[in-house]
Amino acid sequence: MHDAHSGQDWRAWFAEHGARLRLIARQWARSEADADDVLQEAFVRFWKHQRHLPGNPNALVVTSIRRSALDLLRRSDRRAVREKIVGDDMETVTWFEPEADPRLAALADSLKLLPAEQREVVVLKVWGELTFDEIGEQLSISPNTAASRWRYAMEALRKHITARTHD
Amino acid sequence: MTDPDHDIEQALASLRPRAPAAVAARLAAELDPPASRRGVIIAWSAGLSALAAALVAAFVFLGGVAEPEAPTYRLVQVEQTRPDVQFFRPVQMEDGSFARPMRVRWQDTTRWEDARSNTRLINYRPNDQLTLLPLETN
Repeated sequence: MHDAHSGQDWRAWFAEHGARLRLIARQWARSEADADDVLQEAFVRFWKHQRHLPGNPNALVVTSIRRSALDLLRRSDRRAVREKIVGDDMETVTWFEPEADPRLAALADSLKLLPAEQREVVVLKVWGELTFDEIGEQLSISPNTAASRWRYAMEALRKHITARTHD
Repeated sequence: MTDPDHDIEQALASLRPRAPAAVAARLAAELDPPASRRGVIIAWSAGLSALAAALVAAFVFLGGVAEPEAPTYRLVQVEQTRPDVQFFRPVQMEDGSFARPMRVRWQDTTRWEDARSNTRLINYRPNDQLTLLPLETN
């Protein structure tokens, strides 16, 4: 990951990391439009006020995204008790660029079928580049719980794509 | 010891999340520094009033130094900046429908010059418009 502490242009940094950050934002947003709003607010806060802070800039920006997402959920629906909400367009909007490899395409589809609590661990580990310790801090769960959700998710994904490729 | 999940993890990592092009455009409005404004800029709300005031001022000034003719301004440049477009979260209207507020900002600059007296007249007009885009909901 490029060093966000340096004085580089935000465009270069966002061009490299924006896509995966948006995928992370999508996990905690009700819709694609909300994910855009969350990412915009979180990135502006990170870039203006937090990127010079010591520590892993990746964890900082993920924290900023989660904070913005939860703020938006609270603002938009105070009755919501779940922090992770599967939006109506979850099944219709693709999260990834089209893949020619059918196995990869099946994997991309299967990711959406995971329970939200497993999917967010997968997204934070693979595209958030966080360790289980850091994921635990983000989600207020133990590292062991994070690792356990990861294993369940891998098992489920393996079953999904095996079934899909044998159809 | 081999990690049985390594192949799945590698396959996941090879998936490419969609680029957030719309967000990048909105970030530019918030993070890019404003365009520098060089030289003397006279900000007027309307071009006609700017032109009239400058002509009167030039007439008075040039009359004092026995300049027989008023300057003749020639239009040399008209410039409109690229608009900054900013979208906000949808809002609910009084009739129950939803709309997304959109803010558009740009600047118009018009420049005239009088070569004989070497004077310039610049009309700079910032624009800021907020509109509502209706959203269709099912």
